[in-house]
Amino acid sequence: MAGIETLGILEEIQSLVSDKLQVPTLSVAILHGELVSYKWLSRNYLVSSNAAKRLLQEFVEKHGSGLEVVYTLSGWLKSGPPNYHIRLVSGPKLAEAEQEFDGSCSVQVYSVQTSIPKDPAALWNAEYVQAEELFKQHTTVDNCLRDNSLGSYFKLGGYHSYEPLGRQQSFFRFCGISNSFVKRSVEGTPVSISNQLPKTAGSPGHLSSVYQNTKVPQSQQTKVQQPSQKDVKSEYNGTGIHGHNAKPPADKEKVLPVPLGKKSVQNGKNPSGAEGSLANFWGRASAKSKDCVPAGNNNIIPNATGWYPFRFIACFSAEADICAREAVEVCSSDDDGRDVNFKRASSGEGGRKRRVVFYFSDEDEEENKDAVNLASPKSKSSLDQKQSTKIPALEKSNMNFDEEIEDKPKVKEGIADSKESNQPLREESSVTGKSTKTVSSSDEKVQSCIPEIDVNKKDTPTVAAPSSPKRRKVLKTRIDVRGREVTEVIWEGKETEVKKADSSTTTKTENSALANTVNRPPAAKKSPATGNTAPSNPTGKAGSKKAGNLKDPKQGNILSFFKRV
Amino acid sequence: MLELRLVQGSLLKKVMEAIKDLVNDANFDCSATGFSLQAMDSSHVALVALLLRSEGFEHYRCDRNISMGMNLNNMSKMLKCAGNDDIITLKADDGSDTVTFMFESPTQDKISDFEMKLMDIDSEHLGIPEAEYHAIVRMPSAEFARICKDLSSIGDTVVISVTKEGVKFSTRGDIGTANIVCRQNTTVDKPEEATIIEMNEPVSLTFALRYMNSFTKATPLSSMVTISLSSELPVVVEYKIAEMGYIRFYLAPKIEEDEDETKP
Repeated sequence: MAGIETLGILEEIQSLVSDKLQVPTLSVAILHGELVSYKWLSRNYLVSSNAAKRLLQEFVEKHGSGLEVVYTLSGWLKSGPPNYHIRLVSGPKLAEAEQEFDGSCSVQVYSVQTSIPKDPAALWNAEYVQAEELFKQHTTVDNCLRDNSLGSYFKLGGYHSYEPLGRQQSFFRFCGISNSFVKRSVEGTPVSISNQLPKTAGSPGHLSSVYQNTKVPQSQQTKVQQPSQKDVKSEYNGTGIHGHNAKPPADKEKVLPVPLGKKSVQNGKNPSGAEGSLANFWGRASAKSKDCVPAGNNNIIPNATGWYPFRFIACFSAEADICAREAVEVCSSDDDGRDVNFKRASSGEGGRKRRVVFYFSDEDEEENKDAVNLASPKSKSSLDQKQSTKIPALEKSNMNFDEEIEDKPKVKEGIADSKESNQPLREESSVTGKSTKTVSSSDEKVQSCIPEIDVNKKDTPTVAAPSSPKRRKVLKTRIDVRGREVTEVIWEGKETEVKKADSSTTTKTENSALANTVNRPPAAKKSPATGNTAPSNPTGKAGSKKAGNLKDPKQGNILSFFKRV
Repeated sequence: MLELRLVQGSLLKKVMEAIKDLVNDANFDCSATGFSLQAMDSSHVALVALLLRSEGFEHYRCDRNISMGMNLNNMSKMLKCAGNDDIITLKADDGSDTVTFMFESPTQDKISDFEMKLMDIDSEHLGIPEAEYHAIVRMPSAEFARICKDLSSIGDTVVISVTKEGVKFSTRGDIGTANIVCRQNTTVDKPEEATIIEMNEPVSLTFALRYMNSFTKATPLSSMVTISLSSELPVVVEYKIAEMGYIRFYLAPKIEEDEDETKP
């Protein structure tokens, strides 16, 4: 493999990596630039992943001194049930880790960097951003993600997820969806990546700067902007080497613009915090917080914990799938008049929380936007680490985003999926369109299902109550003395007769999917602010299809035609 | 004492296949006139009515009216054990909490007995008034099944409009719209390929395709399907069961609202 071209790449790697060495603390962006992983390499130089690994290996052999190397160990574990295991290990610990494997294990270079990041997420952050940019490129541009040479993706999937076959499959499925998502995004307006990138937390800055340095072919089209340093800096509090590593959550909230309209894949199903998910792999870096905003402004809220031994678990939960689907939906409904912003916040404490925010921008509803928040408790490690987001003031839809932030009283209409909230509010159902499950309370008459719409209550979080036409269930979220988010469900008596008719403004989450079956393309436009093609609409067709019509507010009831004998 | 002997056992199997997806548990009512069932789906949107008249059975004995609550899935499991050519006999004793299915192979060299537990089911029997329908469409059942299947890949709901032009099935979904028009066609060679439209006044109703699709599970029972529409009534999708009776599905229409027009 060592051709002339290869040598050139090697040199570039060297300059990439060691340049950073010389100016270690100049800026966060640079700090972030020091990592070169095989995946990134493979995409960037359009070489196969194996070649990229060998390149790195070669590079390490030649210039390895002074650099930190992360190795991929894969093989069967000695201890416990036979388990095919893939582990990322830093150089010094390599020998030790090898002992844990039964017999021989393969050792390959995963990445080369100036220092081992405290946050393992940083290891693949760059790749994610890279993938993101590839996705965002104009559709006419062929890049390695589009021309079906998803090599780097599949490589990862195939490489790191041996043992769970099912997961692999889902991984591939996910890839497939991603593709379609890419395609569909074509229909939308050309994505402006430019204002995105700088905002992504830290890492994008790195990437883009890297891009510029290296003249990555793929990135030309997208015109990656120079990372906005101030964003990054504000984020950088000096506690860690890596900008987003040891940041207090509060800082993060400032810095990390959570993309509206992006859904984050929450890998709540991961067995333990120490395990990364494939979603992380695939997407952006976040080890613990486990949310993965597929396209774009990701919040990286990793807990800075030791990253070794770091275990990759290919975890493609259904959510990843869902997420992809949603992505598709969003893309498909770009022309609709409403913005649906959907966000899943990762949170722990046993429950999971997601929130969906719908912004309906229909004229008739004017400023009355109905936002539905599906929320659930925050992540274990960081209650406070809510993904808060800051929204560029420019974009209108973004302005709403503030209201979405849980901490703020402004949250308009929210549905929280907390334990106490009733079942229909379950995120899975409404968001993913599996709502058939939740809708099973067949006894509810259709009439009662008619969604109540709160058109005017802008400032209070409300949830239309499915079960009572006259009253609504209002969900209020506030922060208690101890800084925790408390969600209360309150019945608010209110005349909603008039609003029944206006089902288009339905915000009831449980009905949202169903309502969409009727209001066919449920104006689920992603907020332009996000500027990406990412998925956001939870309630699109996929959802509604599965949802069936059980609770469709417009579905008539047979009992209203025939009398009981 | 109840004893029903049905030579064409496959018919009962097909009936079960047709309704088991729609209804979980149902009461089978047996009287001197026949064997019938009426049940709503769990969301009370659709209703299925089955009638197998006593004349259709080779042997029909029902001493007193009896209502047997059965889990249709379980019943379907049992009936799947019957061969298509088997003769099926249903037997139940008065006061017993079981029903017995006996399957006899056509050559009489194999006889199987399956006893199934009955269950108590609160039945809500609905009175279905006789009504004049605005439009009645008779068409090949396979054609109807095909239409429903095709449309459900595009949208969730179907608008069935009957005009003097014919009957139009249309849907819309995220990916686009679809319209299928079937014109009256009575000049075919075989009567089971005819499409016959009787229309008193134009009618257009919206239905959930999900239900329509489950109705079409009854397609094997009959080559023709009859769709009766009236603007203020549930649609009736009827499959005649030769010489025996019918299976009818009632489906409440979707309520149309003005903003349907305004939706994007």
